[in-house]
Amino acid sequence: MTEGSDQDRRLASLMRSAQDGDDRAYAALLGEVAPLIRRMVRRRLAFLQPQDVEDLVQDVLLSLHAARATYQPARPFLPWATAIVRNRMVDRARRHARQAANEVESDRVSETFAAETTNMHEEGYGDAEALRQALGRLPPGQRRAIELVKLKEMSLNDAAAVSGASAGALKVAVHRGIAALRKALGAKGSAKD
Amino acid sequence: MQTDELIQRLVADTGAVRRLKSPWWRAIAWLALALPYVAVVAWVHLASFDAVAVVADPRFMIEQAAGLATALTAAFAAFASVVPGFDRRALLLPLAPLALWLASIGQGCVEDWLQLGPDGLSVRPDWDCLPAALIIGAVPAAVLFVMLRRGAPLHPRVSLALAALAVAAVSNLGMQVFHFRDASVMLLVWHLGGMAAISLVAGSLGGRVLRWRHAKGVR
Repeated sequence: MTEGSDQDRRLASLMRSAQDGDDRAYAALLGEVAPLIRRMVRRRLAFLQPQDVEDLVQDVLLSLHAARATYQPARPFLPWATAIVRNRMVDRARRHARQAANEVESDRVSETFAAETTNMHEEGYGDAEALRQALGRLPPGQRRAIELVKLKEMSLNDAAAVSGASAGALKVAVHRGIAALRKALGAKGSAKD
Repeated sequence: MQTDELIQRLVADTGAVRRLKSPWWRAIAWLALALPYVAVVAWVHLASFDAVAVVADPRFMIEQAAGLATALTAAFAAFASVVPGFDRRALLLPLAPLALWLASIGQGCVEDWLQLGPDGLSVRPDWDCLPAALIIGAVPAAVLFVMLRRGAPLHPRVSLALAALAVAAVSNLGMQVFHFRDASVMLLVWHLGGMAAISLVAGSLGGRVLRWRHAKGVR
C-alpha cells in the first residue's frame, strides 16, 4: 500500500464520508482496502499460513475501525492506513516468533544403533548441546538475528519486521554470529581432540 | 468468519464519529485545563508568595518558560504518537526545551557552587513536598490519559513516557514556585530526576495500559 494519487483521493473521500456516518461509503472503503491489506500481509509476512493471513487482515480491519476517529481529513489516507497495517503486522510477527520459539520439532528416526558414529547426522552440527550453549553466549543482537534468519528460516525483511532492526544490520549480525559460532565450536572441538 | 461478513458487521457498527483534533490543538486544550488547576493547587498550598522577587529572577523565569514549553511539546508529541502516519520526528520536539531547562538548572548549580562552595551542591531528602506533587499531578495525568486513549496505540511505551513527561513538566511549574529559594541541585535531583523516573515507569507500563480496543461482539 503506497500513496497513489487518484486511489488515495478516492479512499480519503470515502473515509471522510464514513466519518460523517455514511454506511455505504464505509462499506466501499473497507471493501477496497481489504485486498490491499491482504496483498501487503502476504508480501511482508510470507511465512504465514493462508488462514493466518486472513485472520491478520480481519485484525487490521478491526484496528482501522477502532482508530477511524484519528484520521484527519486534510491528510492522505494511505499513509494513515499503512501505519496501522504495519503496526498490526509487527504485533503478529512477534507473536508468531514467540509461538515458534516454544515449539519443539523432532525428526522421526526409524533405526538407531549403539555406536556413536552411526548416530552422527551427515550434515549435523555434531554436538547440539554445544551449539545451544555457544548460541546462548552470543551477544543478544547476533543471537536474535540467527534465531530469526537461520533457525526460523525467515527472510531478512520478515526478520527485520519482527526485530525492529534493518535488514542490513540483521545480515551483518548473522554473518558475525555464524563466524563466532564457528570459532566457538571449532575451538571446543580442537580442545576435545 | 469470512472477511466480507466482518466488513458488514463493522459497517453496521459504525455511525458518525467525532474526529480527533490536531495534536497541537489537543495539547493546547490539555494545557488550558491543566495550568489553571496547577495554579490553584500551588496557590492553596503556598503560605506566602513574593511575586516581585519571582518576576525579578530571570533564571527562574527562564526555567518556568522552558518547563512550560516542555509540557506543551511533550503533550503534542504524545498526541501525535497516537495518530497513524504522523511524522515521527515530532516525538523529538520536547528535547529542545528540556535541554534549555537542564542548561539553566545546570548553570544555577555552578553559580550555587561558586557562591556557597560544596554546601551549594548538597542534596537532602525532601519528602514533605511529595503529597503536594501527587495532588498537583493527578488531574493533568487523568485528563491526558483519557485524551490519549481516544487515539491509536501504535507506540504505547513512547506515548505514555511522553505523556508522563508532559504531566511532570506541568506539575513542576507549580512545584518550582514552592521551591523558589531552593538550591538548583535540589531542583535537578528531585524535580528533573522525578520527571525522568515517572517517564521511565510510565513507559515500561505502556503496552499493558494503552492497547487496541476493538469493537465488542463484531468478531
